[in-house]
Amino acid sequence: MAGVSKITTGLTGLAVAAKPHHTLGVLYSKILRTLQKMPQDAAYRRHTEIIINERAQILKSNSDIEVVENQIGCGQIEEVIVQAENELILARKMLNWKPWEPLLREAPPNQWAWPPAQAKN
Amino acid sequence: MLRQFLSRTFSRSLPCSISQFSNRAISSEAVAETTIETRPTVRKPDEVARGQLTDFGKYVAECLPKYIQTIQITAGDELELLIVPEGVVPVLQFLKDHHNAQFANLVDIGGMDVPSRHNRFEIIYNILSLRYNSRIRVKTYTDELTPIESCNEVFKAANWYEREIWDMYGVFFSNHPDLRRILTDYGFEGHPFRKDFPLSGYVEVRYDDEKKRVVVEPLELAQEFRKFELSAPWEQFPNFRNANPAAEEVVPEKK
Repeated sequence: MAGVSKITTGLTGLAVAAKPHHTLGVLYSKILRTLQKMPQDAAYRRHTEIIINERAQILKSNSDIEVVENQIGCGQIEEVIVQAENELILARKMLNWKPWEPLLREAPPNQWAWPPAQAKN
Repeated sequence: MLRQFLSRTFSRSLPCSISQFSNRAISSEAVAETTIETRPTVRKPDEVARGQLTDFGKYVAECLPKYIQTIQITAGDELELLIVPEGVVPVLQFLKDHHNAQFANLVDIGGMDVPSRHNRFEIIYNILSLRYNSRIRVKTYTDELTPIESCNEVFKAANWYEREIWDMYGVFFSNHPDLRRILTDYGFEGHPFRKDFPLSGYVEVRYDDEKKRVVVEPLELAQEFRKFELSAPWEQFPNFRNANPAAEEVVPEKK
């Protein structure tokens, strides 16, 4: 555990990351590669690419973990790693779900009307 | 939501697309909301949270146009996403794992029975984002026969909640690992929270002295079917004649 700045994250079950720069770099490049399989105009792809590119940029330009944590502003670096892992899983699932397609179907009339007695037929 | 968290703790700019339309939406909200609630006993909606939730709702609708039917704000500052039944797992997974959402906690799953509707049951997921200190609600619908995809793979907490819905309403969850009765008694029949389930139930339970055990018998006080006439010649709630609608729809901007 050479070069690790702290002993514990203080969060149960979350160990201190040994090489956060390397881990995050790999995760972000994997996410970006997954996103590239989506259509260019998919909103999910656009928004996620912005987030990931921003974080990757911060990660690349700073070697000090504390500075990275402060600039990303989403918790400790270990939490940021967990978030990236989650996003990667999500992005891979999104490839199957294709949520950028048009709405599957409209709700039946008055399905969401409330109170139901006042629903106009 | 995002802004609130970030501005309090860190000074970091948002992904530009969101911050753009959040600024615009908050200013338009402030103009539209002209009547300020002054009665001390009435809860005042949080305008800032409302603006942020409105933007977040639009953001989710933009990301998942396939599944989101309607976005609405209820009770002033509570965001509801109304989705197609097939979208339960994708929408919840997105809300849980996406960087800008992180709704990692499933607080509760609720059910609702409205027999007059085409799909009589509503399933309501309450989720919480600890990261951004925010709660939203996801609603979908089904009928007696159509199963809903279990979200147990997304939230482990869903296991018992879905059993509860199954027990109380008889909504079937497909791919649930262990869909059993959970609240009712052994051998209970029927789903007690359905509107057509009688208030008294179908059976009564008593201790039988001769048999020295508890016996279950058909209800003796069974009531003949009665159609209650609930309309009255007078107006029941005149103070609420001009009450605000239960929900306000948020219309996403067309691109």
